[in-house]
Amino acid sequence: MTAPQSAAPTTPSLLARLSGANLQQYVVYVGFLAIFLFFAVVLRDSGFLTQRNLINIILQTAPVTIMAIGLVFALSAGEIDLSIGSTVAVSALGGAMAMAAFPQAALLAGIGAGLGMGLLVGLVNGALVAYLRLPSFLVTLATMGLFAGVARSLTQLRSIPVTDPVFTGLFGSGNLFGIPSLVIWTIAAVAIGHFIFRQTKYGAHVLATGDNARAAMVTGIKVPRVRLSVFLISGAMAGLAGLLYSGRLQAAKYTLGETDLMTVIAAVIVGGTLLNGGKGSIIGALVGSLMMGMLNNGLILMGLSVSDQMIVRGLIILIAVAVSLRETSR
Amino acid sequence: MKTTTKLATALLAATLLHPAAGFAQTVGPNGESATPSSDVVLSDEDIAALSGQGYKAALLWHTSSDFINAVSAGANDEFARAGVDVVVTTDAGFDAAKQRSDIETALSAGPNVILSLPLDPVTSAAAFREAVESDVELVFLSNLPADYVHGTDYAAIVTDDLFQMGKQAADVLAEAIGGEGEVGYIFHDASYYVTNQRDQAFKTTIETDYPDISIVAEQGISDPARAEELASAMLLQNPELDGIYVTWAEPADGVLAALRGAGNTETKIVTLDLSEPVALDMVRGGNVAGIVADEAYELGRAMAAVGLKALLDQETPAFVVAPALTVTADNVAEGWQQSLRRDAPASVLAAQ
Repeated sequence: MTAPQSAAPTTPSLLARLSGANLQQYVVYVGFLAIFLFFAVVLRDSGFLTQRNLINIILQTAPVTIMAIGLVFALSAGEIDLSIGSTVAVSALGGAMAMAAFPQAALLAGIGAGLGMGLLVGLVNGALVAYLRLPSFLVTLATMGLFAGVARSLTQLRSIPVTDPVFTGLFGSGNLFGIPSLVIWTIAAVAIGHFIFRQTKYGAHVLATGDNARAAMVTGIKVPRVRLSVFLISGAMAGLAGLLYSGRLQAAKYTLGETDLMTVIAAVIVGGTLLNGGKGSIIGALVGSLMMGMLNNGLILMGLSVSDQMIVRGLIILIAVAVSLRETSR
Repeated sequence: MKTTTKLATALLAATLLHPAAGFAQTVGPNGESATPSSDVVLSDEDIAALSGQGYKAALLWHTSSDFINAVSAGANDEFARAGVDVVVTTDAGFDAAKQRSDIETALSAGPNVILSLPLDPVTSAAAFREAVESDVELVFLSNLPADYVHGTDYAAIVTDDLFQMGKQAADVLAEAIGGEGEVGYIFHDASYYVTNQRDQAFKTTIETDYPDISIVAEQGISDPARAEELASAMLLQNPELDGIYVTWAEPADGVLAALRGAGNTETKIVTLDLSEPVALDMVRGGNVAGIVADEAYELGRAMAAVGLKALLDQETPAFVVAPALTVTADNVAEGWQQSLRRDAPASVLAAQ
């Protein structure tokens, strides 16, 4: 008797999905719209709705969105990657140092070193989790600290300028037919990530591994390989985010990415990915990331004091998370 | 950082050439001479020209703290005086990427003047470029983006006298321990221009002016929460320490806790920036010998004033300096007023 060909969960028909009490997964879209409308009205004379400002929000959230894509894969497989912030820093610095060392081949050196560092961190995390069966929370907590220290010592805390115009144009400061490169990167990463996650057997394997690893193994899915792969993806995405940061700031510094972990996790969870695995949404993560960027932007333009900005932001995220996750316990 | 090294060298050179105290010791990052902040004042004509014009300002800070609150208070009061609306206030949390985002967002609100502390010369150069191109008047606190030109790119740098702060800390500690002995040096182990300059100034002054005092222990700190354990280790290895310099008041709390834990009432501490718990210990005759503070309110006032002068197309000095002041148990109330423009905390006044 042959084993079932794939462990892909059957997607219910559109009608079935809508008629089921599954509306909580759309909360992030409703929330996004509600917050957007609120600011559009209250800040209509304060510059919120200008094209420049709306594009700024996408530029500002691009690195977080890209990291969120990687985290969706990791969480959906039942793992977590806390080291993404540190990975951003080492990748940015590695790329900048490589570009300074090989100015004639700056683009290749920068991309190679930057993504290489991201993949290296992902390899370390993935190998420890997948083959030594160590819990990913603890492993990535440790590598978070380890690589933060590496980032600090790489240049003894100094910032490195990134001046190659092709690199900075491609990775954060340039335009293609008038569209900022960061916008293009966001769209491309989300599109490719979503396609792989939703439309390929690999994506189905990731979800199956997170949902029930034993069952997945029984059906023939190579669970350790899936686990390793999601860390490679998460690391690579963090590496890409590092390149984008250094292109946008035209410099690399050990503090890059330091504060992003919680924002990425919030974006991913609010967007509908479950912390325990088995369910995820790339589009939801994108909208979650944009929603938080929009929140930051709007609260600043409202002229709130810094303390009030933090309080209001926390309250809104609390409400969004409570509403979107309330249903999952049923 | 090239700029910091240049500034440090310039400051050191200036010190050695001009032993007399005063502004002659402090020069700007490109060798500019210092203008006292008291020289930067908005005249009545200036106020009249600014009022009713609907001008807007933004305060883009690097962190939140008592110090920043006082600087903001000085700036806000001066802007209010001139009828300028402060539309945006942000805190970058020491994150260069967030500072870039804050600048972009703030520009959407259309400010005419921006006051900010650039996090580091390299990353802030690109970050502020858009503001420069939008013709916004930029006034920088203590730090300068790399290769920015006075007049075209920014209106002025305003700073506390970073060198004097470190130097006066050395003087206070030296006096407290009788001019001789062994001291510990707890410095800020991060790439942050303000603390780096002040820490270096303390060390240089001890090494140059006080031959009978030696720094026997050095410890870098980046997370203030770890101060107590680092200080305990230092005291364990150097039980005869006469004094300790602590880079700023928040870690000083932890150092005090370490001393109390060891039952040590002899070792003297000096630190920078006013803080209630540290001042309380000082007033009660504890380990704290003195606190060196800057005139934070005055810094904010001067920043706003120079930004508005630039808005009126007036010539502005490149490098404006506000004085440092030494606060001991004797002048605690005056110190708080002069630095932060408010009363010292009740607990401190009551303990006097």
